[in-house]
Amino acid sequence: MSGSTAKRNPSDFLKQVLGRPVVVKLNNGTDYRGTLACLDGYMNIAMEQTEEYVDGKLKAKYGDAFLRGNNVLYICAQKTVKK
Amino acid sequence: MATSSSGAVAAQATPSYLPLALIDKCIGSKIWIIMKGDKELVGTLRGFDDFVNMVLDDVTEYTFTSEGKQTTQLDSILLNGNNITMLVPGGQPPEE
Amino acid sequence: MDTSQVEVPLDLIRLSLDEKVYVKCKGDRELTGKLHAFDQHLNMVLEAVEETVKTTYVDETDGEERVKRTKRTMEMLFVRGDSVILVSPPVRTHQS
Repeated sequence: MSGSTAKRNPSDFLKQVLGRPVVVKLNNGTDYRGTLACLDGYMNIAMEQTEEYVDGKLKAKYGDAFLRGNNVLYICAQKTVKK
Repeated sequence: MATSSSGAVAAQATPSYLPLALIDKCIGSKIWIIMKGDKELVGTLRGFDDFVNMVLDDVTEYTFTSEGKQTTQLDSILLNGNNITMLVPGGQPPEE
Repeated sequence: MDTSQVEVPLDLIRLSLDEKVYVKCKGDRELTGKLHAFDQHLNMVLEAVEETVKTTYVDETDGEERVKRTKRTMEMLFVRGDSVILVSPPVRTHQS
């Protein structure tokens, strides 16, 4: 990825964020923060060191977690350097 | 070449542009996304695929609850296309 | 668990076969049990299952909303995949 204005399709995005810390938001509003281990075409996700947040509050931790893709609203990558 | 009567048929067979061509033109600019349920997002479109899953940067997420509007800032996201209902090029944010 | 063998998300489930797993389902249902079988839809067969259902109710003494947990056990259970939200091998899993 050269400039920040380069075209970036979903598959490019996923290559970028594999193995990186992400936030996955589900349709029910729950956030999962952890390391993105892998995912497939259904947006099924395997995460490591996952923390579950409901209404912004930490509710549970999972060593490994599988998230079923139909529940996924978005996958958010945090910029390593802000601005 | 096409007469007015056959024009509609021609348009059906080869539309002058597809809806997704319009979205393709939005790459690099702001877009306003209205989701199923009480959620809207505004961000810079970076790309999308055939399912209209979208890569967006500098996103503001608006959730409308009974207590009012809740906003969240997000750096870079892959949005699942499943729950998208409408796309508005230009991306004026939801009214204050 | 050695996650180096995990190349697609379903591998995580495959590695949990015959292990105790935690399953979070729609409708505030949680299951723990030994994973016997699963398929690509996440339909699952669990053995020696404990189900926890969370329901909210209004406490009449103070009008506060409280959460009630109802538990029950089942020897063998089929879970339809579309109700599954999350699956986790409960090793290293601890809930607050």
